[in-house]
Amino acid sequence: MQVDPGLWWGADMDAESFLSYFDDKRFIPDLRSRTKESVLGELSRALADDDEIRNPAVLLEMIRRRESLGSTGLGKGVAIPHGRSTAAADTRVVFGVSRRGVDYAAPDGEPCRLFFLIVAPYEDPRHEYLPLLGKIVELVNEKPLREKLLAGQTFAEFQATIREAMGERPGA
Amino acid sequence: MSDRVHDLVALQDLELMIRDAQDPASKEKEEALGFAVHGLEELQKARETVVKKIPPRDLRLYERIRGKYQRVVVPVRSRICLGCFQALPTMATRAVSENGPLPTCENCGRILYWL
Ligand SMILES: [Zn+2]
Repeated sequence: MQVDPGLWWGADMDAESFLSYFDDKRFIPDLRSRTKESVLGELSRALADDDEIRNPAVLLEMIRRRESLGSTGLGKGVAIPHGRSTAAADTRVVFGVSRRGVDYAAPDGEPCRLFFLIVAPYEDPRHEYLPLLGKIVELVNEKPLREKLLAGQTFAEFQATIREAMGERPGA
Repeated sequence: MSDRVHDLVALQDLELMIRDAQDPASKEKEEALGFAVHGLEELQKARETVVKKIPPRDLRLYERIRGKYQRVVVPVRSRICLGCFQALPTMATRAVSENGPLPTCENCGRILYWL
């Protein structure tokens, strides 16, 4: 199958559309969980603040099952648990930072500190899900960005870091 | 929320995940991004476990709707069925009794899940 890399890597996504998937209510600067199991729960609960998601338990179940397919820990201290569910009306991201790190069964064995939980609807007519996932993977590949995300304490700082990273990228 | 609808949502989500993991294009994209996609057997076992929890009558309804639509359970938002985008009658309710009928859309017949 021929894939348009520009489409699914999210190369045409600007900083504002990228940031529209995030929210202050879904920004957790100091995750308390110490284990993979509990961090998935902590991230999922942040979705309940969203009026459109009444039952985060359904989403947590889906996210846990996705992990049985293979860890979503990417290495370099980053994990991106993700999946589509009947219980999600829109695509949403929860961003969280663990100061101590969580053992997440990442391929490099490093503890995870940066977490992006992505939930998307069962049907994705605007094809948002994979470009968004691709964009996050592309961004966190840069060490300076990872360091800034780790240092940030507020959602405003998070937004500024993303705008700077995406603004500086030629052609972004 | 009714556990009966919950279990059907879990089944539908699992079947979607299995389908994606079996689809070469979708699997290739995930792997290109650095994610492992290898535990398909685990998912199939999980599906069997979920199926066992579902009353046979609910499962038959699910399979019957599946013959018509890929997406059997659909969310309801602002009293709109997100399967066919028709407004639900005001008497439509999310309440499900233990042995009563599952809530379905009068228009398209899909099972309704209130967000
Ligand atoms: Zn309908």
